[in-house]
Amino acid sequence: MTPINRRTALAGATVLAGTRFARAQAKPDVKLAMLVPLSGPWARSGLLEQMGARMAIEDINNNGGIKALGGAKLKLLEFDAGESAEKAKDAAQRMVAQEPDLSGGFGCWLSTFTLAATEVTERAELPWMTLSYSDLITNRGFKYVFQASPTADAQAKDLVPIIMDMAEKAGAKRPSKVALVGDNSASSVSFYKAIREIVIPEQKLISVADEIFTPPLADATTIVQKLRTGKPDFVLLQSTNAGDDKILVDKFAEFGLTSQKMAMVGGGGHWCQPELTKLTTKEHLEGVIVGLANWPGKAMADITRRFIERTKEPWFGHDSLFGYTHVMTYAAALEHAGSADKNKVMQALHTMDIKDGPARFFPDGRIKFDEKGRRVGAKLCVVQWRNGEPVPVFPDAVATHQAVWPRAS
Amino acid sequence: MDIESLIENVLNALTAGVTIGCIYGLMCIGLGLIFGIMKVVNFAQGELLMLGMFASLYLVTGGGILAFLGPNIGPFVGALLAGPIVFVVGALIHKFLISRVSGLKTAGSIDDGHFGQLIVTLGISLILQNGGMIVFGSTPFTVRTPLSSSAIEVAVGYGDATVFLNKAKLIACAIAIASALALYLVMEFTRIGKALRAAADNPTAATYMGIDVDKYYRMAFGMGCGITAIAGGLMATYLSFGPFVGFDYVIIMYSGVVLGGIGSIMGAFWGGLTVGFVQQFSALLLPPQLQNAMIFIVFLLIVLLRPQGLFGRSAERA
Repeated sequence: MTPINRRTALAGATVLAGTRFARAQAKPDVKLAMLVPLSGPWARSGLLEQMGARMAIEDINNNGGIKALGGAKLKLLEFDAGESAEKAKDAAQRMVAQEPDLSGGFGCWLSTFTLAATEVTERAELPWMTLSYSDLITNRGFKYVFQASPTADAQAKDLVPIIMDMAEKAGAKRPSKVALVGDNSASSVSFYKAIREIVIPEQKLISVADEIFTPPLADATTIVQKLRTGKPDFVLLQSTNAGDDKILVDKFAEFGLTSQKMAMVGGGGHWCQPELTKLTTKEHLEGVIVGLANWPGKAMADITRRFIERTKEPWFGHDSLFGYTHVMTYAAALEHAGSADKNKVMQALHTMDIKDGPARFFPDGRIKFDEKGRRVGAKLCVVQWRNGEPVPVFPDAVATHQAVWPRAS
Repeated sequence: MDIESLIENVLNALTAGVTIGCIYGLMCIGLGLIFGIMKVVNFAQGELLMLGMFASLYLVTGGGILAFLGPNIGPFVGALLAGPIVFVVGALIHKFLISRVSGLKTAGSIDDGHFGQLIVTLGISLILQNGGMIVFGSTPFTVRTPLSSSAIEVAVGYGDATVFLNKAKLIACAIAIASALALYLVMEFTRIGKALRAAADNPTAATYMGIDVDKYYRMAFGMGCGITAIAGGLMATYLSFGPFVGFDYVIIMYSGVVLGGIGSIMGAFWGGLTVGFVQQFSALLLPPQLQNAMIFIVFLLIVLLRPQGLFGRSAERA
């Protein structure tokens, strides 16, 4: 064994001190978790959200990281929520156990999954941001949950009057009969509760069909048959995955009820996923109106172009936009907090009120969360399928086209 | 609701129930065949349905092998060809995995190999699901045919009441019935069918009679997989699917097999038909969200009142 002499000890001490100094200088990564379905029927939605989130991480890190933390880089840790609420909750438990130093997280796309996962994240005092729509998510008195979308009940109250006005503006008679079709996931349940109890009486509408199914659909004959019998002016479609959208749209076409004869109003980002044109046809989708929580506006042309170049997806839509926006909102909160501590990030999210930066990614141009964790002034967007592509028609801040109403109405 | 609407609603639910039921019936035959002959409860049957869907998809669109047949014929030929492809996959799965925990090797053991079969088939199911995720990705697919969104409209003769017969499902239904009938004829009137039935009834005696029981078990397993794959290919013409689609249908398969009478191959077809019919027809009277619950209510009623299954007594045992 070589004896340790004074020179060796000095050299060792110098190396050790140098390493410690280097460690002190290196900024630890700030960890954000993403828990979305990456398998199962909702996986495509999760993947689209993932694409947006990854691009945002890269944008922030390429621009010098989090300035308030000395240029610390953001690191995205991805977890699969799977295909059931139980799996989403299990994944959330694994996530908080494996990664105790997370600064925040976001997900789980489907409200049912988010409701389950946030039970875990709230106990772990981990800030959690979501695009999920169900109002139940932020109705439980949780402090660490932040809902960027307008809630499902708020969307219900906003959407129907917009649709009614759209019909009148297009020169059609004001709709008087509506049909409700949707699945029994949490956001659809919240949406239709508000529709039945508030919107239908207020708007003096008659509901001619109320068909709630358990996803995934095997066939839609009996559902669509009831609509054929009821002859509604428009139908609200609150399904939650592209597969069910395809079955419904194909069955409508089979029964001769295309959106040129009866207005179809879908809800949620999956109604605008690119693969819908492959699952069904652009002719069947033509004219379908979709109410959703956000859509890239005219001001996001550069991000949209970069996203398309990077992912080869045909457009930058609802799910990817939210992935991008969630990360950008966390970056703003980290700058605001000046710390990666999850409690300080939670405080920053509750206190910040911004109208620039990531706030530009919402049509209302503001990020401020109220005491429940809901984004103040969150506005609904409406898009419509035209020539195989969804185009924004409401509000003016994002609209590039005028809405078209079916001729027969 | 007026009488015209009522007639239309009932007849459309009836036709949807029968067409979907026939496809479910074919799907159930695959599982029924495996259980009836080998007494193996195959939890991976849903994933073999999924493989049938993807085999059909790649035959029709991937390599463009069937592109020359066009979108009206190609998807159905693709579904039929998915059968032999998945038959080979099934035979290989049997050779390298299932045969280790079934057949003569486990005859006489405490559990007749059932615990091993349970674990092995569950494992195959997980591997196929997650392998499918790696290979095919999570984007939903469909074998697109214009027939899936068009119908033959039949006037009932009462007011404007019309029955819509979905063209894709009608063809799929005809193929399902023809396939089931072909299997019945093979089982009843051919040497292979007799050997399969002998291997099912008494494998030891069949061995003494010179029947290679392991070979026929492999054939039965392959046939069960292939038949379910044909059903998968047919379903792919009107549904969207991904690597996890099998999970949604494996429960229907088990319900159909038990309803029809465990061990009875043709009973499985009638069981599947009953499941499809109950699923569609119940939506007329109850909210559609209870469709699958109704299947199990009927299932439990039949288990309670007729434990041998609906067609257990009259159907020919394999």
